Amino acid sequence: MRDLKTVIAFTIKDMAKRKSFIISTLIILILIVIGFNIPNIISAFTEDGENLGEEKILIVDSTNLFEGTLQTLNQMDLGYTFQIANNDISFEDIKTRIEDKDINEAIIIEQKDDGTYKLRYIVENMTQVASVPEDLINAINAVYTNLQISKLGLTQEQIASLTPNFEFTIEQTEEQEVSGNLGVIMLLSIVLFYAIYFCAYQVSSSITTEKTSKIMETLVTSTSPRTIVLGKTIGIGIVGLLQICVIVATALISAKTFLEPELLDAVLDMSKFTPYLAVITIVYFILGYFAYALLYALTGSTVSKPEDIQSANTPVAILAVIGFYLSYFTMMNPTSELNQFAAIFPISSPFCMPFRIMMGIASTSEIVLSIIVLIITILIIAKVAIKIYSNAILNYGTKMTFKDIVKVYRDKNN
Amino acid sequence: MGLKLENVSKKFVGKQAVDNISFEVDKPSVFGLLGTNGAGKTTTIRMLLGIIKKDTGEITWNGKKVERKSVNFGYLPEERGVYPKTKIYDQLMYFAKLKGMSPKDADEAIKKWAKVLKVEEYIQMTAEKLSKGNQQKIQFMTAIIHDPELIVLDEPFSGLDPVNTEILKNIIMDLVKEGKYIIMSSHQMSSIEEFCTDILILNKGKTVLKGNLKEIKEGYKANRLEISTDTNIDEYIKNFNMDIEFSKNNEYSIKINSEENAHQLLKKLVDDHVVVNKFEIKKPTLNDIFIEKVG
Repeated sequence: MRDLKTVIAFTIKDMAKRKSFIISTLIILILIVIGFNIPNIISAFTEDGENLGEEKILIVDSTNLFEGTLQTLNQMDLGYTFQIANNDISFEDIKTRIEDKDINEAIIIEQKDDGTYKLRYIVENMTQVASVPEDLINAINAVYTNLQISKLGLTQEQIASLTPNFEFTIEQTEEQEVSGNLGVIMLLSIVLFYAIYFCAYQVSSSITTEKTSKIMETLVTSTSPRTIVLGKTIGIGIVGLLQICVIVATALISAKTFLEPELLDAVLDMSKFTPYLAVITIVYFILGYFAYALLYALTGSTVSKPEDIQSANTPVAILAVIGFYLSYFTMMNPTSELNQFAAIFPISSPFCMPFRIMMGIASTSEIVLSIIVLIITILIIAKVAIKIYSNAILNYGTKMTFKDIVKVYRDKNN
Repeated sequence: MGLKLENVSKKFVGKQAVDNISFEVDKPSVFGLLGTNGAGKTTTIRMLLGIIKKDTGEITWNGKKVERKSVNFGYLPEERGVYPKTKIYDQLMYFAKLKGMSPKDADEAIKKWAKVLKVEEYIQMTAEKLSKGNQQKIQFMTAIIHDPELIVLDEPFSGLDPVNTEILKNIIMDLVKEGKYIIMSSHQMSSIEEFCTDILILNKGKTVLKGNLKEIKEGYKANRLEISTDTNIDEYIKNFNMDIEFSKNNEYSIKINSEENAHQLLKKLVDDHVVVNKFEIKKPTLNDIFIEKVG
């Protein structure tokens, strides 16, 4: 136990002191802070602090078709500011005003020879706007319809009865109800996958570094291989978890500080982030990390040269990717049996179960079963990994094949 | 008391690495473990350190079975290794703690040995900035920092310059005076001859020679004559049916069958008024014995 603490402490200190680790963490934190400030940065560069989304549209109604009712468009909260002109303005004048950024777009209402009307939508560049925006067409149609209805001399009630006022809701036939923004959940699933994967990968490279630097021989005479594997795995896991906590905390603080509350609420429903979910996510991070880190300890101990790490680690990487995609794609249909399977299957459950819980569709028995399966898997991997590690670390030479690994496992050296 | 290996064997898949070897180091001294590459030295060392399990036989230290957990030996492996990006002090402290030392005792030991080995100025540097020789001294410190009773040194002098070799030799001699048991494996026969009282030579996992080095050498007849003269004596040597091993500027190293034969050659040279500057009949060196046994 004393040795385990010593190995953990040394691993943590060694990892945290590495320049590459410090620099990469700082870069991630800076990128997060910059990322959450992008809306503020963009608005700072916009003239007079104008909202970028508020586009100015000039409507030229020289025939006065709308009889002055176009001003009501500004009350419709369409995201545009409308300027209405009843005098004739030429295309050239509009072009100049768009170039001067006085307006963004313009609509010219013209009467055709057959008496019908044509609305010309003028934009600076059609690569950005391929067609006339649907909401704009609907709004202008509505204004015209209301104008014509009002001319019929109907009462307010009659006019109101003509305007549909239906309430639309959505319901499902399945009993399990899914909540949460699926896009955000998938994004968080990717974050959790990378966190587990890259922390676990560090174990492999750390073990191979010890082998290539030939320190292993001294190390195994100082403490047991089991202590080295577990100490390293726990040490790197602690550093990884702390790194993720710092990153998540920075992201949350940045989101709260720099984002408009409405924008934040639209993207992330913070009410879903309960302490229970945080604990479950950390538990799955730790268990998922252990499963993959121990597999990486196994592969890391079978190579002696840094250039062989990549190929030795490929099987574990494939396993991780299969686990991740099994979780990721079934999450699009979270009530499916395949997603339920992914939440219990040990290679995918760390990337899947926290989000089933977040969506409110995981039962307690499912969670308990998933954790038990994962722990049993970790114990089996640990037993095999420690045995192979113990026998393989003193083997120098070419990368071991699968056959060699089986031989080494059967060896009674330790 | 001391270290005892009895009928120890180890087989790896398809290969008998060590075959029924026995030896004992019963008093503080340097024991020489010799053999060609792949003879089974490293496997023997790993077994006596408890890193790998033996198939058969018994290894005891002071009468108790050797297991990795129960012993606290020091080990300088042939494969030199340090953490390249970690401060020397930190890695020495790490190994000292793993060997059961308190941080305070470890700190004192690090400072003491850094002074003795003349590496004080490097102690706060990362290992990658040190020369190969200095890295080796650091690894030697790792082997002895916890004051072990038994120390295994595998090729301790390889890569060291003459100054550092001398420093290390003095330390080894001091360690023996302090009552330490040392197992030394080396291909430098001169070092073995200089330090070892007892030796064991392994070939393909089997013991081909073991015992007290002095007694072993005394058991061999003289086989070489070293002679230096003023003139060329090739013809004399030919007439006495002797083989020249080496000759340069009238200095000869000659293979002889008996001391009598050498004396007759000397008599003939003196009779013919050839000036003899040096005449030395030599017994086989450890190098000769080694080559004879495993070559």
